Amino acid sequence: MLSLENITNAVHEWLNATLNPNLALLSEFLIVGVLAIALFAVLGLSLVLMERKVAAFIQIRLGPNRVGPFGMFQTVADTLKLIMKEGLTPDGADKFLFNLAPYIVMIAAMMLLAPIAFAKGFQIWDINIGVLFLTAVSSISVIGILMAGWASNNKYSLLGAMRSGAQIVSYELSAGLSIITIVILTGSLQISDIINAQANGWWIFKGHIPVLISFVIFIIAVTAETNRAPFDLAEAESELTAGFHTEYSGMKFALFFLAEYINIFIACAIGATLFLGGWMPFHIGHWEAFNHIMDFIPSSFWFIGKTFFLIFLMMWFRWTFPRLRIDQLLNLEWKYLLPISLVNLLVVALMAVMGWYF
Amino acid sequence: MFIIDYIKDIFKGLKSLLTGMRVTGYYFTHHKEIITEQYPDNRATLKMADRFRGEVVMIHDENNEHACTGCSACELACPNGTIKIINKFELNAEGKKKKAIDTFIYHLELCTMCNLCVVACPTDTIKMEPNFEHSVYDRSKLTKVLNRPGSKIKAGVE
Amino acid sequence: MNSTVIMFYCISAFILGTGILAVTTGKIFRSAIWLLFSMMGIAGLYFWMQMEFIAAVQIIVYVGGIVVLIIFSIFLTQKSGEEMPKPPLTKTIFSLLAAILGFTFSYLLIYQYGFNDGNAPFELKVSDIGLKMLDTGEHGFILPFEVISVLLLAALVGCIVIAMKVKSIEE
Repeated sequence: MLSLENITNAVHEWLNATLNPNLALLSEFLIVGVLAIALFAVLGLSLVLMERKVAAFIQIRLGPNRVGPFGMFQTVADTLKLIMKEGLTPDGADKFLFNLAPYIVMIAAMMLLAPIAFAKGFQIWDINIGVLFLTAVSSISVIGILMAGWASNNKYSLLGAMRSGAQIVSYELSAGLSIITIVILTGSLQISDIINAQANGWWIFKGHIPVLISFVIFIIAVTAETNRAPFDLAEAESELTAGFHTEYSGMKFALFFLAEYINIFIACAIGATLFLGGWMPFHIGHWEAFNHIMDFIPSSFWFIGKTFFLIFLMMWFRWTFPRLRIDQLLNLEWKYLLPISLVNLLVVALMAVMGWYF
Repeated sequence: MFIIDYIKDIFKGLKSLLTGMRVTGYYFTHHKEIITEQYPDNRATLKMADRFRGEVVMIHDENNEHACTGCSACELACPNGTIKIINKFELNAEGKKKKAIDTFIYHLELCTMCNLCVVACPTDTIKMEPNFEHSVYDRSKLTKVLNRPGSKIKAGVE
Repeated sequence: MNSTVIMFYCISAFILGTGILAVTTGKIFRSAIWLLFSMMGIAGLYFWMQMEFIAAVQIIVYVGGIVVLIIFSIFLTQKSGEEMPKPPLTKTIFSLLAAILGFTFSYLLIYQYGFNDGNAPFELKVSDIGLKMLDTGEHGFILPFEVISVLLLAALVGCIVIAMKVKSIEE
């Protein structure tokens, strides 16, 4: 059967057979880089289109439908427009940091791609601290946002950056704690171990109520960490024009925009990996025939399907709920999510010790 | 007790969030609810709402007769000088001089579609029409004469 | 000199360069950013040593926590965008002296320890770190771990006490 694992292995063997090991490694780096950038482009285009379509249908509109069939090339046209626009740097800005900030955000998003398993045996770097690496690197992107807000020399940008900083720093806690629940149950930080532990059932089913609670907390915290509505105070249009990227235009703005969507994809990919079994197919107990049919669906399809389901959930949130005020935002985190996730963590630890999961 | 209130709060919050999501989820799955009009494409079938106000017109019947007495109540009622009525004096059948309109000038470019002239008209001779395609290349084309050439007042309207 | 050694020198040069920039730049925000890059360079060094756990903790604690807090406090100060005045010569000299003293002190300590050049592959599971943390036996870290936990708890409670609204007497 043709699978991504076989393809990567074949490429690896062919490169090692034809080139010397160093060159082979270098060319593998190159291939991975090109693939990552291609994935970024495809994701950026498709997620923006998906967001606009979902928003339109939820608001009883049609959405983009002029460029291409069903408006499929709308985002391509938008990207072309953004590429051709002039990238302005404001006069009073700190020019070096202003131009550096979008790249920091982008590089942080790119690094997050490394430990994610896209399919069975299709993973860039199966690092032994996978989940910890993800939480660590995702905290770098806030620096880019703070940098952008300060360097723009604009009060809206500064306010947006401060809000975003406060938000990300506080919501990282409950996101981290809900990730730790799965780490406790699995006993490993490695992504491949976490996925393999779900071969006989995804954690959200195996861990029943406590894992469900941490899943809900994870989704809420991750929505806040990616600065999306209802937690989009950092770029609240009605209050701060566009928050930290008010002064950005052209391709630099596009990088911020792209990084936002990449972060959504990665956050949902982490959620799918931890709670919904990554690329593991859906299996029910001893229904051999059913399980066999499910195995025929390629693992990459499972992963992409789960991830896009979570992305859709986040879009659904965005177009349903009104924006929180800053005090409501911090209340939600410090008075509700954090205590609940701490108690939940204890319950999960007890569950893991006593073996009260399926 | 504090803890019970706290837990109640959480469940109430979750329930209200789910209610909101149910509404938007319904619209997401029911595409026939979509109300967007794809305007230039559906021009042939486009039906404007009954009470949409697009422009002021004067009602003429099949004999090219209208009911305007030239009282200029509409001109007085108009808040921004959209209507200008020029009167003339005609001799009627009994040889008496009688006031009648010569031209009913309507400046569409000034009109805010407030409907006050229609309300003010004592003889219900003007009304609002739902036509909204007013774009022209010259502003002067928006100054319209509402009474048709050769039209005259209906018999019996004072 | 193989490629890993070259990488080591590159990373070290990056750390030192950004560190020097952090203390010499005129703008306070920029020096925070240079400090951040220096911290990331140290994390890179840990990655180079294949100590991924320490590297990730370095990023979480220093980049995601401390530098963000520093930047926050810079945001809240006035005139954070202006160029700072050049320090007087005596200040420069004394801070240089302090830096050199600190450097020689730590260098001598490290030099006297005398690291042996071990070529054995270094493999450490994260779960071992966790077990060591809770180990009550010899070379276990249960006591420092608990002491630090109590310290952090005290800090948390202190924060809450400071942030709490004082109820007025009438209520």
